[in-house]
Amino acid sequence: MKYSYIIPRKKSVFTAEIQLLLTFFSITLGMLFITYLFLLFKDYSFLSDMDDIEVVQSELNINIEDMQEQITFIEKENLLAQKVQTQNTVLKDSIANLFDLVPQRITLSEAKLLENGLVLYGVTPNKDVYNFMLQAPLRSIFHRTYSSFHPAENGWLRFVSTNYIDEEINLSQEIDSEN
Amino acid sequence: MLGKFFESLYLKVFVNIVVKNSTTDVYIELCSKKGVIDNAEDSFNTTKMSEDMLDFITSYTRESPFSYTSVLDTSESQGAIPTCSKNRLSYYHDVSASEYKCHDKKWTYYTSKSDLYDIERRYQGSGVDFVFSPFSILANFFKDKVDSHHAMYILVQEGFISLCVFDNSELLFAQHLDMEKITESDDLLMDDSDEELDLDDDGIDLEDIDVMDADDSLDDFSDIEDLDSLEEIDEFSDNKDVEEEFYHEESDEMAENEDTGFNEDYQRFSLIQSSMNHFYKDEKYESKFIENVYIADGVGISSDLKRYLEEEMFLSVYVRHLELGAEISELARSEVGL
Repeated sequence: MKYSYIIPRKKSVFTAEIQLLLTFFSITLGMLFITYLFLLFKDYSFLSDMDDIEVVQSELNINIEDMQEQITFIEKENLLAQKVQTQNTVLKDSIANLFDLVPQRITLSEAKLLENGLVLYGVTPNKDVYNFMLQAPLRSIFHRTYSSFHPAENGWLRFVSTNYIDEEINLSQEIDSEN
Repeated sequence: MLGKFFESLYLKVFVNIVVKNSTTDVYIELCSKKGVIDNAEDSFNTTKMSEDMLDFITSYTRESPFSYTSVLDTSESQGAIPTCSKNRLSYYHDVSASEYKCHDKKWTYYTSKSDLYDIERRYQGSGVDFVFSPFSILANFFKDKVDSHHAMYILVQEGFISLCVFDNSELLFAQHLDMEKITESDDLLMDDSDEELDLDDDGIDLEDIDVMDADDSLDDFSDIEDLDSLEEIDEFSDNKDVEEEFYHEESDEMAENEDTGFNEDYQRFSLIQSSMNHFYKDEKYESKFIENVYIADGVGISSDLKRYLEEEMFLSVYVRHLELGAEISELARSEVGL
């Protein structure tokens, strides 16, 4: 400002119209950029979710395999349980049958079930009652039967009957029968 | 940096407004770094910003965001002071209500703040970037003379006269005159004329005046016996400005308008005479005898004014034609560094 009394107005290439135009384009570009960023984020988020889902899927697959194994195990257990139940039923029937075998004149005080045998404790009025009424059926069931007696205070006899089933004999008999 | 780059891509538009008595001249220049590319000029029958004027200006300014509007200050309450020292300003003029600027750290020109606001308000349609003082125009227009001569320099506009006295680039006196307002107070003019008579009585010795002018002037002074030799007259003729010679050629064409211009030129002469008298009389100013007068003619004055000054005041008068619009534009260009 060498000669003029006043300072000139600021000049700019960016006139009001250009400023409006630039503002409009800036807003548009800004919105496009924000949209682009949003899509980038969504893409990243989608890929991240996909990775997570793949991890979850693999974990689920592993779980499914585990569960399949568990199911197999449970099925086996179920079979085993059914078998045990059947065996128990058989055993129960056997015990019921066993107790049915015991005549009314003989009183059992204890019975021990062994894997391949049976031990009975009780009192009998005399040996004959025992031999005819209990030992005979026991001999028909078990392969080996051992009995021992000792007198009780009231004049009866306490007895211990030990009975065994020989599996090898059973097996060989089964094989023989199969042959 | 980016702004400078964009600026270099655009043309600069300089709108220069010169307000006259009843019309306004608008001179427009389109400039690149290389110089003026195009210009346009139009005159409008109004002294305010009319719609036509605004349309004319806008048709150019909308081409480039770098458009500068300059207005020549014609307000009455302006002037120039022969000092830049703030302490000394009030000795010449109360500048408390004025806007002032120091020129080359030598002298100060000022104008009323309210007039500046008025100009800015008047042209708020197009906006104003520069308001120039006629004294700046004068100093710039006669730069080649101001720096090395002692003379009176007069800017003649339609309705206004700005005059100043420079002695080797030192301002001695300056005054801005509104012809219309001064005409209304004829008494003032008459008083000034009387004072001029007193000035003559004070005794300016014609023998001391060694400056002579063209042959016409010689005829007028033919009865003075102690006249300098004709050789000196020839020497002086050689030193005359080219512009002045050109002006003489034009003056024949303007002879038709002399009748209408007679009154105005006489009025201008009277004002110059009274101003010069004021300069000599007022003790505030360092009074030095003026021999030469350089007139920047912005209106097309008749030869009468020159003749009056030469015959009545024994001055050597040089007239240089001035295109005000172009001069203002030159100042505006120098303001923006073109």
